[in-house]
Amino acid sequence: MNNYKEFTITAIPFIPEVLAGVLWKLNITGIQEEDTFIKVFCPGVSSTNQIEISAQIQKLVKEKVIESFVVIEKVLENKNWNEEWEKSRKVIVVSNTLVIKPSFKEYSAKPDQIVITIDPKMSFGTGEHESTKLSLLFLEKYVKRGMKVLDVGTGTAILAIASAKLGADKILAIDIDECCYENSIENCIVNSVQDKIDIRLCEIKAVAEKDFDLMAANIQKDILINISKDIRDRTKINGILILSGLLIQDKEEIQHEYERLNFSMLEFEISGEWISIVFQLC
Amino acid sequence: MAKKITGFIKLQIPAGKANPSPPVGPALGQKGVNIMEFCKQFNARTNDKEGLIIPVVITVFSDKSFTFITKTPPAAVLLLKAAKLEKGSAESHRTKVGKVSKTQVKEIAQLKMPDLNANDIDHAMSMVSGTARSMGITVEE
Repeated sequence: MNNYKEFTITAIPFIPEVLAGVLWKLNITGIQEEDTFIKVFCPGVSSTNQIEISAQIQKLVKEKVIESFVVIEKVLENKNWNEEWEKSRKVIVVSNTLVIKPSFKEYSAKPDQIVITIDPKMSFGTGEHESTKLSLLFLEKYVKRGMKVLDVGTGTAILAIASAKLGADKILAIDIDECCYENSIENCIVNSVQDKIDIRLCEIKAVAEKDFDLMAANIQKDILINISKDIRDRTKINGILILSGLLIQDKEEIQHEYERLNFSMLEFEISGEWISIVFQLC
Repeated sequence: MAKKITGFIKLQIPAGKANPSPPVGPALGQKGVNIMEFCKQFNARTNDKEGLIIPVVITVFSDKSFTFITKTPPAAVLLLKAAKLEKGSAESHRTKVGKVSKTQVKEIAQLKMPDLNANDIDHAMSMVSGTARSMGITVEE
């Protein structure tokens, strides 16, 4: 895992709004505001340093917006930040068939129940979120024995693993995040489905195969619109597409985009403020 | 019974791009909040504001659940937008890269008033004007 640089900045007077504003032109990942200081972060490999940050803030001194400031730089070691939350995870019964559990919890499965073990670390797809639950319910309905499945933005690989356990023959699971790539491999091994699931660290554009019976993508609206053609080009005629990670208000835009590409909406399901939509390629 | 609030977390992150790396990971992780759940919600709610920096205030409750509200982008980001610029000047004292009107400064100051701890609108406008000048943006009278 890559480390980060953390810059702690105090100023007199302390106006986080003004301080933070002038730093966004640098290569930073975000800012945290506290009562008397702000913390600014950037990747450890970034060229951004204390001198560069100080130079930006010095301009505010020159313009008499602030009187003085101090910047302290330190290295922040990257780790599984989600560790504390992970300890509180419980068994999730998604349906009569599908159950998600963390590895440290025991669960006595009933006959015909499929238990998926997920330790998410810092990947999306814990089974707790409505968008994942909706995707799982649709997979349960649409995955048939022998199917070839593509899971786009696999995260923990929860949807890929569910597809494998529901009978899909071959699953390709892709993600562009290195943490997710490593985590999805671990979860596939824990669930003994590594022979069925091919995990790749890549974008959908890099997937050469174009004959998937079922596609699942639990991401977010703007990405699902950006990759709509790539999804269409890899779906078999009559193939099923399950889209999730969408808010209810996203439905119209997504439906319009995918119907334009010859998908026909079969159904959708809502849970809270989230929606999952199933399409079929005509 | 209402849930007990255990803390507030204030962050600034790019719209639609929250991920578990700092600042989100360490800030939420140490309070035992589900980081990925926050990222999913934040990204879904802000992904139509691509390119903007979004200040967000997260309220954490005793059961580790959370809610959050998003605020208007920082004054510096609004100044760039008002001046139709992508970024400020590297040498603001020498190179001026754009201009904004006093009316625009006033609009930004009014919008950001709650975040500037300013005594009045004139004080807020002077801070916004100073920020503009520090970025190489001229404030026209």
